[in-house]
Amino acid sequence: MRLLIVEDDAPLASGLQRILEAEGHAVDVTARGEEAVLAASQEKFDLVILDIGLPQMDGFEVLRRLRAGSGGGPMPVLVLTARDAVDDRVRGLDLGADDYMVKPFAMPELTARVRALLRRSQAHGGPRIAHGPLQLDTVARRAFLRNEPLELAAREWAVLEVLLARVEKIVSKEAIIQAVAGWGDDLSPNAIEVYVSRLRSKLEPAGIKIRTVRGFGYMLEEFK
Amino acid sequence: MAGRSLRAHLLRMLLPPIALALAIGALVSYFPTIEPATHAYDQALVDIGLAVGLHVRVMQTEYRFELPAAVEQVLRTDRFDKIYYRVMSPAGLEIAGDPGLPAPPGDAVAHNTIYNGDKVRVVSVQSPCGRSTCTVLVGETMVKRERLARELLLQSIFPELFIAIATLLIVWFGVKRGLQPLARLSDEIKSRSAGDLRPIDAAGAPEETRPLVGALNGLLTEVSAASLKQQRFLADAAHQLRTPLAGLRAHAELALAQPLPEASRAQVEQVHQATVRTARLANQLLALARAEPGARSLTSLVDLKSLVEGEADLWVHQALARDIDLGFELAPAPVEGDAFLLREALANLVHNALEYSSRGARVTVRTGRSESGAFLEVEDDGPGIPLAERARVLERFYRVPGTPGTGSGLGLAIVREIAASHGATLAINEGMGARGCRVGITFPHG
Repeated sequence: MRLLIVEDDAPLASGLQRILEAEGHAVDVTARGEEAVLAASQEKFDLVILDIGLPQMDGFEVLRRLRAGSGGGPMPVLVLTARDAVDDRVRGLDLGADDYMVKPFAMPELTARVRALLRRSQAHGGPRIAHGPLQLDTVARRAFLRNEPLELAAREWAVLEVLLARVEKIVSKEAIIQAVAGWGDDLSPNAIEVYVSRLRSKLEPAGIKIRTVRGFGYMLEEFK
Repeated sequence: MAGRSLRAHLLRMLLPPIALALAIGALVSYFPTIEPATHAYDQALVDIGLAVGLHVRVMQTEYRFELPAAVEQVLRTDRFDKIYYRVMSPAGLEIAGDPGLPAPPGDAVAHNTIYNGDKVRVVSVQSPCGRSTCTVLVGETMVKRERLARELLLQSIFPELFIAIATLLIVWFGVKRGLQPLARLSDEIKSRSAGDLRPIDAAGAPEETRPLVGALNGLLTEVSAASLKQQRFLADAAHQLRTPLAGLRAHAELALAQPLPEASRAQVEQVHQATVRTARLANQLLALARAEPGARSLTSLVDLKSLVEGEADLWVHQALARDIDLGFELAPAPVEGDAFLLREALANLVHNALEYSSRGARVTVRTGRSESGAFLEVEDDGPGIPLAERARVLERFYRVPGTPGTGSGLGLAIVREIAASHGATLAINEGMGARGCRVGITFPHG
């Protein structure tokens, strides 16, 4: 994947670059907003990591121009900020940022979010979702585990789809019920527990883990 | 200010001039009234003199005075005073009466003098005798004159005294009444919270208190500007620290991801831990600056439940890394507050619970509403905080002796300040089964 980092703090920028390169991405770095806007207008990036506190043209302005000038489809933007004022966050998301991280952050957290954003933008393009040895064809509604067909009941499929959309994030039982309730009848949290436990018995042998977060919901762990 | 009563001061200032005005007033009204009275009494003496004068007979070269005893008795009779008279020839020789009654000096027709040891008023009357005039002196002791004078004086002083007393009463109660706007002003200031540095409303204040209100508002503005400046500095400093810390952390984590000699790995791990700790400290300082009384707070309606849900991802990863069972019991808990500060309080409570619990421990975050208000609570089954230490752990930079880990000792102090700035109460108790620790913040209704 092709990534653009817009960050004026050189040590941080180089650190991010090396970490993301280690993940197998091609990474360009610039310290100036103007250059970022220019680069994005000439080339296509799969993801932009954008610092808000840039000299001269600040990150909000860069974001606004990126969004105004994006002709070649959606380009996910992950905003970095040293400030945590609520209005900063709201403003960034209003301007079309896809995610938001407050400095300093743990690198695994950053790489997880980058992966999630890339996965999401890839999903826009194709019907296939991959998670380690698991593959979902959302159009044909067929699942494969280690390239073997995997039998999933309709509700199990729906629950898995919700969890896959938010890897490493807790998905509350309410959110799962809402996503699955398209089938009409009422679903109790207990029913969700049943589907999750069935999914677990099918996926855990392949090393895919669904964590229970007591009193809250479930979290599909990053495949390691 | 004890002993410096404005009322007493005002009375002390007013008493001498009022007393002086009273004295002058009494004198001014006394003299105009005593004059005609004296004149009237003198006239009565003149009448006696004229009557006495009629009894002088001129016999060739001799003056004779014959006054029947009954007439003399009538003339000399008075309820209060003794009456004297003395008749003298034109040549000044004694004819009759009380010898030695002093005549007015010179041309005067009346004077006050002493006779027989009494104060007397003597008038001189010219009475025709033959071709010449005799002089009749009539004297009278001054009992009724003095009584009259006293009465007149009292009569003139009474209204003055009344006015004076009324004035003093008006001052005494009027000052209190007049100072009521000041009392209201001080009530308004007293009822403020420590962080309320808004200017006082001068529109309702009376003219005289405007300078005071103005001066107070000036001071309030300066204090609030200074406090705002200090907070802004702290916040900026904390924010500025974050970018270099992010760089440091990135490189430390990058280094740890590579194969390293055992000795170097331990050192890089130390660097990484120190970085994480410093970042946390920067956040805590920021929170302290924001929770400080007088800080500009961004208050909105915050549901503690949503707040917990929004942060839960982060904690779950920390809990997983430490093999701690982090659970939630969340019910809606709407409060009026600063979302950043509440999030920071929550982060500190959860961080403490995760930090001080051992592997396999159980930590539960709760939100909801009880009779006393919306609440937020974090319970763990770790070592707990001994009763004797519970007050001290709320102090800044205090850590329970022998505590493992690398906390700054700021966490609970920050939680306490944030609770205080929201008018909420912080309570530290044992967890279930008298084990571990249960720290809760309760937000009162309203």
